[in-house]
Amino acid sequence: MQREVGTLPLAPALRARLAAAGFQTAQELLDTGPCGLSKEIGISREEALEALQVVRQECHGDAARTPGGPGATRKCTALELLEEEQTQGFIITFCSALDNILGGGVQLTKITEICGAPGVGKTQLCMQLAVDVQIPECFGGVAGEAVFIDTEGSFMVDRVVDIAAACVQHCHLIAEAQQEEDHQKALETFTLENILSHIYYFRCRDYTELLAQVYLLPEFLAEHSKVRLVVIDGIAFPFRHDFEDLSLRTRLLNGLAQQLIILANDHRAAVVLTNQMTTRIGQSQSTLVPALGESWGHAATVRLIFHWDNTQRLATLYKSPSQKESTIAYHITCQGFRDVQPAAVTHSPQGAELNPRKRPRTEEEKQ
Amino acid sequence: MDWDQFDLNPKTIAALKKADIKSVKEILNLSGADLQRLMKLSSADIQCLLRTVSHTLRRNSMLTALQLYQDKDHFTSQHQKLSLGCSVLDNLLKGGIPLVGITELAGESSAGKTQIGLQLCLCVQYPYKYGGLESGAVYICTEDVFPSKRLQQLIEQQQKLRADVPAEIIQRIRFGNSIFVEQAADLDTFQQCISRRLSLLLARGMVRLVVIDSMAALFRCEFGAAQAALRARYLQGFGAQLHSLSTRFRTPIVCINQVWWLFASCSMGVGSRVTPALGITWSNQLLMRLMLSRAPLPGPAPGTASPCAGSMRTLSVVFAPHLPPSFCYYTVQLEGVKGIK
Repeated sequence: MQREVGTLPLAPALRARLAAAGFQTAQELLDTGPCGLSKEIGISREEALEALQVVRQECHGDAARTPGGPGATRKCTALELLEEEQTQGFIITFCSALDNILGGGVQLTKITEICGAPGVGKTQLCMQLAVDVQIPECFGGVAGEAVFIDTEGSFMVDRVVDIAAACVQHCHLIAEAQQEEDHQKALETFTLENILSHIYYFRCRDYTELLAQVYLLPEFLAEHSKVRLVVIDGIAFPFRHDFEDLSLRTRLLNGLAQQLIILANDHRAAVVLTNQMTTRIGQSQSTLVPALGESWGHAATVRLIFHWDNTQRLATLYKSPSQKESTIAYHITCQGFRDVQPAAVTHSPQGAELNPRKRPRTEEEKQ
Repeated sequence: MDWDQFDLNPKTIAALKKADIKSVKEILNLSGADLQRLMKLSSADIQCLLRTVSHTLRRNSMLTALQLYQDKDHFTSQHQKLSLGCSVLDNLLKGGIPLVGITELAGESSAGKTQIGLQLCLCVQYPYKYGGLESGAVYICTEDVFPSKRLQQLIEQQQKLRADVPAEIIQRIRFGNSIFVEQAADLDTFQQCISRRLSLLLARGMVRLVVIDSMAALFRCEFGAAQAALRARYLQGFGAQLHSLSTRFRTPIVCINQVWWLFASCSMGVGSRVTPALGITWSNQLLMRLMLSRAPLPGPAPGTASPCAGSMRTLSVVFAPHLPPSFCYYTVQLEGVKGIK
């Protein structure tokens, strides 16, 4: 009731008029009533009635709102956050080396960006994750569903079928080896048709459709509460042509990033984006850098860069709040994303001089 | 834009008209705060507007992967592909060229790129049952004159190449009538061609294949090293337009590309290798890249019949979302390009 007028969800012009007329708290508005209000500020009675209704709803909502509900500010300690993070699931990638450098796999509630040249395996990893998110909990998965937003048309369902079939077979082998009852039960629902039916596919043909789709995602995720992965493959394609005004592009991308962060947090989902590479022409040489500019680099929490070394595919963890910068080798087989045989060796960061601004983290001396 | 047809509050509709907002794109381009200021509405109203407008744009757009997999309709199915006319080559590509997206055929000169391009123009005219799309093709020449004599030869020999198709069906198809040839030697003509004439032909349903021979030729003389940014903008623009046409009309776009020599110094001295022209900007626009090369044979391998002594032609998949990197051998004969098992 003591809520300040400036914080109420009214039209800005109306708020300005209320402030000019001297109203300071919501209680004063409610006391004045619609006739008095319309006379004081010079708006019609209908508008005054509407405004008061909004105010009443807000105040009622404030009183009824329990601490910790959506929208209210939540207070918690860092210890609580740590415990929450430690119980957070990861979506495994089936390449144990990549899972290791990520700290367990693709993390829920965070945005992970995968950058790389064409053909290096970004879409393959996205398809693998869309299958892996559905692995039942007894096999170490998060038992979720996936949303796949395709802007380039590179989602080939035959390939997803191969990956899903290999994943189901893998789980069958584990179940046979371990012979536990809940494994058998989980395998009844973990079939090819079920996996395919829980990948929700959206095709966006330009950036307007992509923006519209992201506006609709919160509602979609509220209806499909089991979704734990949102993939946008690729985020760069619709934004790299057709923009005379680059500041508009930056603004739209920032807005998109904010919406995705809120989505990831509210629905406990992982967001995975794929980005293209572009050439940056330096003083004496040109290097490949992720597209969409410097400011886009801040959007993702975790950034992976896929690149080639002759014929070997490498993945470098370029940005992460908790893991060390490292490079591993991976393989793409007919079954999907896999390790290189034998198990991959983690290269030390000194060799990979990808981010000259960061001090390489050195191993602590262990006694 | 007729805002009255949207399911919106009359107050919102009045505000939209007053603020002179003409399209959904304009609404989505503005941030929530800008919209509030422009239309003088509360944030709840703006959220409602954004959701309604997004719903209208994206109505019924969700499919599950299972629906995609089970779709057997000729027009929409992902399983439908454009055959190359030879079973060995089709096996390499798991059916043929995908219907949506830009496929690139890169290779040195006289590797056989134009041959495959012409062969595809004929293959597209066959019925769905035989791997075609029952429609014509557009062939855009940017450099040389269209090889009409070779096309005539290929048409005469179709029965020999497509032994799997009954003779009556081949005789009924009027191959020459459905191939539209366009010449576009510079960027502006090319731009006109794809934005006007191509969309017209595609909209009328007369063609379901576009072959561009070649992309690199358009950029050779007009751009020096200093104009890389301008060239990149053109490439991205063309790529986006072709991609959009391909998606709208479910038509494969095959771009023939030339190759550059890359001199790279590595630990073992200066080496050189062949790489498709136009750089990473163009590679980013592609769905699939095929490379045709001619490698000199060291000597006849024991047990294999080598029809062309001295050099082996190889068709390899460089990248594709649904194919592993693989290759097969092929020959160019009178009746066309055929793979060798």
